[in-house]
Amino acid sequence: MIRPRIAAPQDFAGGLFLIAIGLGALWASSGLGMGTLRAMGPGMLPKSLAVMVAGLGVLLLITSIRVEGPALDRWSLRGLIFVLLGAFLFALTIRGSNLPFGFTLPAIGLIAAGPLVAIVSAFASPETKWTEVLLFAAFMTALCAGIFKYALGLPIPLAPWLLGY
Amino acid sequence: MDLFSNLALGFGVALSLKNLALCFTGCFIGTLIGVLPGVGPIATIAMLLPITFGIDPVGALIMLAGIYYGAQYGGSTTAILVNIPGEATSVVTTLDGHQMAKQGRAGVALGISAIGSFIAGSVATILIAALGAPLTRMALLFGPAEYFSLMVMGLCFAVVLARGSILKAIAMILLGLLFSTIGTDLETGQERMTFGFAPLSDGLDFAVLAMGIFGFAEVIKNLENPETRDVVRQKVGRLLPNLAEMKQSALPIVRGTFLGSALGILPGNGAVLGPFASYTLEKKLAKDSSRFGRGAIEGVAGPESANNAGAQTSFIPLLTLGIPPNAVMALMVGAMTIHGVIPGPQVMTKNPQLFWGMIASMWIGNLMLLIINLPLIGLWVKLLKVPYRLMFPAILLFCCIGIYSINNSPVDVAMTAFFGLFGYALIKFGFEPAPLLLGYVLGRLLEEKMRQALIISRGSFMTFVERPISAGLLAVAVVVLVVALLPSISKKRNVVFTE
Repeated sequence: MIRPRIAAPQDFAGGLFLIAIGLGALWASSGLGMGTLRAMGPGMLPKSLAVMVAGLGVLLLITSIRVEGPALDRWSLRGLIFVLLGAFLFALTIRGSNLPFGFTLPAIGLIAAGPLVAIVSAFASPETKWTEVLLFAAFMTALCAGIFKYALGLPIPLAPWLLGY
Repeated sequence: MDLFSNLALGFGVALSLKNLALCFTGCFIGTLIGVLPGVGPIATIAMLLPITFGIDPVGALIMLAGIYYGAQYGGSTTAILVNIPGEATSVVTTLDGHQMAKQGRAGVALGISAIGSFIAGSVATILIAALGAPLTRMALLFGPAEYFSLMVMGLCFAVVLARGSILKAIAMILLGLLFSTIGTDLETGQERMTFGFAPLSDGLDFAVLAMGIFGFAEVIKNLENPETRDVVRQKVGRLLPNLAEMKQSALPIVRGTFLGSALGILPGNGAVLGPFASYTLEKKLAKDSSRFGRGAIEGVAGPESANNAGAQTSFIPLLTLGIPPNAVMALMVGAMTIHGVIPGPQVMTKNPQLFWGMIASMWIGNLMLLIINLPLIGLWVKLLKVPYRLMFPAILLFCCIGIYSINNSPVDVAMTAFFGLFGYALIKFGFEPAPLLLGYVLGRLLEEKMRQALIISRGSFMTFVERPISAGLLAVAVVVLVVALLPSISKKRNVVFTE
């Protein structure tokens, strides 16, 4: 038996992606009133747009079965994970945060959160050299602290545990 | 004449020592960040937005405009020296610019690009000053229906100008519109699609979305490919083009300037098309078109002029109608709003100092780029030799600090990371994210005007076709879409974008 083949796997996945977002948005806006054309309710536009997005997804899905197109790209999980993890950790630690289950993260300020971003994200590249990264992270953090905190006076916490601001 | 007295007022504002300094700083930092490979103007401005917060509105906007031109110019520098376009509009510059660099004529390529940009910028500045007043008067004739139709037309242009499948581009516009409805509904105060998550009740911050998609996702994408950056090893060479080269470039600069200016005014990111159109035109007009792609100076001079002219005339819809034609201008809207200025026809009458000061500073900014960049090229070359493995952690750190500082909100940084994931998925599924941003930018205004128009017309959609201006705009939108969908044209469209 011949297995059914999809001519454009990338579009097929893209179609599914749009359908998922459309349905998600439809669900998220389910409690909003449609109103009438004369007095549009808050739900009118989100719901119609969600339906259109999902509809285009279906269209893309159908065409992808027949019309030849590009194959799916490989996802580089390493880059994805470490780059986003770096940013995420910055968000969690710059002013501290309360996590579920009673965990808390201390407010470490730019002095520590800066190198944290640089070092965690450096795992994303296979070419990383560690001494280089450590030195560079320290240098960039000092530079950023100088520019953003002292030269521009932005209220970003520098080292609350050490300097009190 | 009004034009001259207005410009005189503008130069009076822009030439103050403080504003000159701000313009200079803006151009310099803009170029500094814009030169980094893979960081385009959108990410640059989103990153640098917070540094203007402490300045008065006029100064802040002058500095932002400087950052914008700097980022544009930095993108061209990277395109010429490393063959990495910072954004769609400098793709064309890589074709001949990088070839020239390989032949040891990088200096001339950068020089002619700066000179062309300056000439284009000067013409565009005058154009903005001249068109400002009449277009503002026209804007006053616009009711909600006309505004709605104008934005629809802009979105249709954006679909046509996007690369790749039209179906996907439409999907991206709609998705952008959908995202713009997140947050508190302006009329009823009801929360829409916020999942009870408090930071979403004001809607998504545009900078968060833009930085996630154009900052983080770009970095992740760049990390996939092992570093193969070929920074020109040849000498940069002399910067000033000689007489023969100037002669060769003169007409392409003029043609590029006009093409770029005209396309830049179009809503829906017409500026993107400028460099492509100019390149195609120069190639057609050239006696020996085989030189193109092998370091023809016309292939740098024309598109670079068109690029800068378009970058500048795209301020026109923003300043006169209050409609941002592309993502960069949307960030400008964000910056203006932070400083208490609401872009639109009233800016010129209520705040002439700001309006004309900004226009005058555009010209000064262009002059400054010409002056500061030529001697600084050595510095940019050095900066470009920093390997990406060191550059990307620094870019990420800048992004994090920038996003955090916009609202002093760590949640914004986390959301940006989420949109980084989202943007990466878009790239992997072959969607181009630029139309999404435009849809997002116009979404709120579009909904507001649509509701107003429908209230006035008592719920009849006919209002959009019964009013002549609105009908005309919609007709243009339909024609543009239909033409793009014609098979013969869509083939040509692909050729233009893949060339």
